[in-house]
Amino acid sequence: MNEVYRYFLIFLGALLIYNILLIRFIALCPLMGVSTQVETSIGMAMSVLFVMTMATTVSWVAWNYVLEPLHVGEFLYIPVFILIIAALVQFVEMFIKRSSPPLYRAMGIYLPLITTNCAVLAAATEAVKPGFLKLNIAYHFSLPEALVYTIGVALGFGVVIIVFACIRERLETSPVPHAFRGTPLAFIIAAILSLAFMGFANLLGL
Amino acid sequence: MNEETTGWQEFKKGLILENPLMVLMVGLCAVLAISTRVENGIFMGLSATFVLVFSNIIIASIRKWIPDQIRIPIFIVVIASFVTIVDLSLKAYFPPVYERLGVWIPLIVVNCIILARAEGYAYRNPVWHSFMDGLGMGAGYTVVLLVMSIIRELLGTGQIVLFDKTIISLGPFNPPAIFILFPGAFLTFACLVALLNRYKMRKKK
Repeated sequence: MNEVYRYFLIFLGALLIYNILLIRFIALCPLMGVSTQVETSIGMAMSVLFVMTMATTVSWVAWNYVLEPLHVGEFLYIPVFILIIAALVQFVEMFIKRSSPPLYRAMGIYLPLITTNCAVLAAATEAVKPGFLKLNIAYHFSLPEALVYTIGVALGFGVVIIVFACIRERLETSPVPHAFRGTPLAFIIAAILSLAFMGFANLLGL
Repeated sequence: MNEETTGWQEFKKGLILENPLMVLMVGLCAVLAISTRVENGIFMGLSATFVLVFSNIIIASIRKWIPDQIRIPIFIVVIASFVTIVDLSLKAYFPPVYERLGVWIPLIVVNCIILARAEGYAYRNPVWHSFMDGLGMGAGYTVVLLVMSIIRELLGTGQIVLFDKTIISLGPFNPPAIFILFPGAFLTFACLVALLNRYKMRKKK
């Protein structure tokens, strides 16, 4: 397989075919919680992209240069990755607070939430530890490949959460059955969106 | 009120009143993703309950020595240790199940229910109550997970297969596969929540 094509497949697979929210159901809490307004969704999407990319980079280095050479990866990867993410989020929060107060005001409230955002841990684990990825291509990612994968996942998250917020804002004022108001309706929207994303299945043999 | 009745109340609270999935709406991701088979539901429910109960016990017993500022990392380390135990045991004893549950096992660490119970309950309550609370929350989680997976497997495949044995079969008909596909998870859950809402509204009137 040609090198560029391989990157393209990894990216597309992470973004559309195995979309993290609608096909794999990871990180539904922010989808339900934050997506009531388009503006907050954009903030969340940006913060996730940022944290996810950094988390995968650090986890990749930790896995390939520390855990794997010491043969402790198999039973230490969970605590190590989650601590990396927690520390990273804290660090990023402090850094942004100092360096760019407007950005902090925009992203600030979402940053602590991201620690428990399963998408970050999922992307890091899949991109770094072999054996979790269901995509039909790679078994072990190199660092650039892991990064392309992570960016694909994060953009997939962003696209869906923003589209979702747009639909929800519109439906806020429409008449729906009482029992379905709020969360149930949001899940119905998610079902229909997920139906649309299923159309991408088996695209390019992934 | 003696010790035992309050313990029972803690248990019941997680099962019904404060059911983590239907009422608090946290930790949904895993439920939607793996409820395609009853077998998955059982293993996932048991794993989450195990982690909940033991992390609650440990955190409740060391809560007096945990400094307030770094409590979250400590909780996460405790939880992660128990998740690792589950991860390795499933991998060793039930490889096919481990294969299907995949990334969801490590993701128990970030399952909001467990951290929420550690922070909101076990950190402030004695060991016995935390134990019952963990058991109740785990049971509530497992029950919803089982209901979801029974509906989805029965409607989506027309039968329920448990440990390679067919338990219930609906006979020869063409099952609507959408229920075990991705949209089915959202649809089933939406209908369950709507039903619960309707029940609550009736009760209010």
